[in-house]
Amino acid sequence: MTKSYELVYLAAEHVRFRRHGDTLSLTLLTEDGVSVDYPRVILRACFPVSDSDAFLSVRDAGEERQPEIGVIEDWTQLRQEDREAIAAELSLYYLVPKITRIEAIREELGFLYWTVETDKGPQDFVMRNNITHNTREVSPNHWLIIDVNDARHEISDVTALDARSQKLLGRFLSM
Amino acid sequence: MAEKTGSEGAEDPLSTQFVVDHHVDGHRVNVAELPRPVVEELKTIGHDAHDIRLAVKSDLGPDGQFGEQWLLIDQQHLLVLDRPNGRAYQRYRFELGEIEDASIERCVGNGLIQVTAGKSPHVLLHYSNDLTDRFGRVAHYLRERAKHGAETPIPEANQDAHACINCGRYLADPSSRVCPNCIERGKIFRRLVMEAKPYWGKVVLIVVLLVAGALVNLVPPRLTGILIDDVLRPDGRTEMLLWLVLGLLAVRVSSVAITIAKNWLSINVSGQFTAGLREKLFSHLKSLPVDYFDKNQTGRIMTRVNQDTSELQGLFDQLTNFALNLLMVVGIGIVLFLMAPSLGLYVLIPTPFVIAAAYHYYRDMRPHFRRFWIARWRLNAMLNTFLSGVRVVKAFAQEDQEEQRYHQRNDRMLQSQLRVNLAWGRFFPLISFAFSAGGLIIWYAGGQAVLADRISVGTLMAFIGYLGMFYGPLSALTQVSEAMNRFVTISQRTFELLDEAEQVQPERPLRKPKLSGSIAFDRVTFGYDPYFPVISDVSFEVKPGEMIGVVGHSGAGKTTLVNLLCRFYDVTDGAIRIDGEDIRDLSMDEIRRQVGMVLQSPYLFRGTLAENIAYGKPDAGYAEIVRAAKAANAHDFITAMPEGYDTIVGEGGSGLSGGERQRISIARAILHNPRILILDEATSSVDTETERQIEEALNELVKGRTTIAIAHRLSTLYNADRILVLNQGKLEEQGTPQQLMDKGGAFYNLVQMQSQMARIDGSTASL
Repeated sequence: MTKSYELVYLAAEHVRFRRHGDTLSLTLLTEDGVSVDYPRVILRACFPVSDSDAFLSVRDAGEERQPEIGVIEDWTQLRQEDREAIAAELSLYYLVPKITRIEAIREELGFLYWTVETDKGPQDFVMRNNITHNTREVSPNHWLIIDVNDARHEISDVTALDARSQKLLGRFLSM
Repeated sequence: MAEKTGSEGAEDPLSTQFVVDHHVDGHRVNVAELPRPVVEELKTIGHDAHDIRLAVKSDLGPDGQFGEQWLLIDQQHLLVLDRPNGRAYQRYRFELGEIEDASIERCVGNGLIQVTAGKSPHVLLHYSNDLTDRFGRVAHYLRERAKHGAETPIPEANQDAHACINCGRYLADPSSRVCPNCIERGKIFRRLVMEAKPYWGKVVLIVVLLVAGALVNLVPPRLTGILIDDVLRPDGRTEMLLWLVLGLLAVRVSSVAITIAKNWLSINVSGQFTAGLREKLFSHLKSLPVDYFDKNQTGRIMTRVNQDTSELQGLFDQLTNFALNLLMVVGIGIVLFLMAPSLGLYVLIPTPFVIAAAYHYYRDMRPHFRRFWIARWRLNAMLNTFLSGVRVVKAFAQEDQEEQRYHQRNDRMLQSQLRVNLAWGRFFPLISFAFSAGGLIIWYAGGQAVLADRISVGTLMAFIGYLGMFYGPLSALTQVSEAMNRFVTISQRTFELLDEAEQVQPERPLRKPKLSGSIAFDRVTFGYDPYFPVISDVSFEVKPGEMIGVVGHSGAGKTTLVNLLCRFYDVTDGAIRIDGEDIRDLSMDEIRRQVGMVLQSPYLFRGTLAENIAYGKPDAGYAEIVRAAKAANAHDFITAMPEGYDTIVGEGGSGLSGGERQRISIARAILHNPRILILDEATSSVDTETERQIEEALNELVKGRTTIAIAHRLSTLYNADRILVLNQGKLEEQGTPQQLMDKGGAFYNLVQMQSQMARIDGSTASL
């Protein structure tokens, strides 16, 4: 048995991911031809902000502590079917809408009310008007905005937004 | 003693909260609330929409895009429907009877609800964080139904816990009860006025002084007008010159006197009012339950008590200035029109430009200021971390990198500072140009009127004098709405804190002057978040004078267990009894007086060691303090200090070692003399010798008291009467140390693990 502090890499040829509805399952093929079934696994990106494709932690959802089965160094190198299953699971697990346009920002009683257009559809959200705690500059012009529900909204490039959106951002967020 | 719980059909506080109707059959969803396509799809798959008992809508589609899915429950089934592009189709269908378990899980920015059916897990759907409460209630219902069957009452799932009590909309701020839309500004003002009742007399005086000041300010230009028209001319009444100048002097002097009096009064009133408010806030804070402090970060509460009240004070002063400005603008406007109605109109020409320019300018200035404040804050924070982590920086030889970082932030601050100053530098010349341009129009139009003999030179001069006093206040008034907004925001936040519910005290608290110290946990369930229980279904009993050890992995719920005993939190389900009485019926003072705690990282307040030891009994005499310190093994190191028991320790006890702090807190507990004693990892993070000293002190302390000791080092529990082993919030084992060792279960494994560690320790020590 592998020691718990050793990192287990899952190689492309040893994993078979499958989705049944919204449930992701994994069949792990070991060296000696034995296979282990995990009826439900969850995926967590180790570097969700800086490189969401690198080091995906695969965990067994069936156990209370959700122990790690192993990590996938680069899931884009997996077989086609596995990639599709993983991409679908990730897009459900990580709901971080990318803001493409800002319709309005309104300030009221210490909160900012945003109306935005995102890659996942139009959205309204509320943010505590405290810039130092609720925004994060990932890199120049790349921002994360954290709302009152602890959900994140991404602006991958402020300068790529239209002029009106940029002006609204400048007025309320002083980025 | 009345058995309130433990019987079948125990009141579950989780479900009673949102049950509408206890008769399962009586609860039905209003079909009109379901979208048409959903009703039709139900028909196609052989269900009747009228049978639906619970319908909850998710705001996410199966593809992770914003969308719509429905979770529907009728008498026998659970259905999940997707609604892409206005249509609806079934995704899943389960028999309620086959569902064995249900739970919600947190993802990033969303959550999911899953059920176990036929031993295999099924994710039903994802929902955004806004809806966590709703689906949490659904999962709770499914879990309960799996345990208790079809009689389980159906929850009212579509009501948000954080909903505005007025309009039911989702609340952004969990600590508030009313949404910004429903806040009536008028009400806030009325409440402020009522809060300021003791100062009404002084406020009236301030208003009188404001009016007087405005009137006095209107006099000088009028006098100079007379001076020019009637005195300073070849045939003028020269004898009036001295009187007029003396008059001007008198006006100026009284203006100064009025301003000083007004400032003195308003500073006094606003200062006293906000100091009173701060005190009120603090006295309210102390009676709030512990979970208020969990939900609200210390920083946010500090802001409300300190910053908000001082900003309120600043805004008060600002408001009196606004009132003065308003009086000036109105007064001067009236005077100008009375003096020369035709010229008055010219005054109005630049007015919109002045207002617009000032409004836009201030609005565009604000982001510059904010950027500068943030840059300065970041620079300070960076310096702060560098200084507190200087050993680490040096140990890893990262001085250059830190310098580089500091340089970047400093540069950023410089840039933002330059931007602020440049913007100000542009603002002043421009705004004064706008003012003087207004004056130029008057010079031209007024000059023509003088030449045509319609008005006198003196009137023109007075006019221009008034004009100089007109645009300044006018441009300042453009800031009124911003200031009022801040004012309402801050007052609202302050009142919200004042309205925060205090911890529920029993109406007629039971007083038990002398407890025997028996404790009973009866099927106790608790979660900081009701949907994620940290303690579930824990029952045990402790006889007076017994010593109980609590062990388990970190996060097993050990500290939560003792927090519940102190009633820092109230149980979600079940009951805790001391001497047979539910602790919710005992008076809070009583619990706190009879339950003492020694924590892992004891907190010492700023003050002398003697004050710290006597914290729970401020009237303790020297003898008691020294005896307690002696028993706690603290007397020797205290007397070795130059100032002995009078030594001042800082916040958190800086200047003392961990073991010394610990012994002070033990002395505090000994002096407090509680019937029930809680030791929360009291000997962790100290070396073996100190541990031995603390152990000695503790042995003194636990004599004759009911003791619950949470311990990391199992060796400290060998003389415990009983051991409780917690695992994931559940009671896994209990028994005497010997019984548990013989049993070879969880406790045995923990002991094995630690003795292996000890052997490693021992071997390295002997090297």
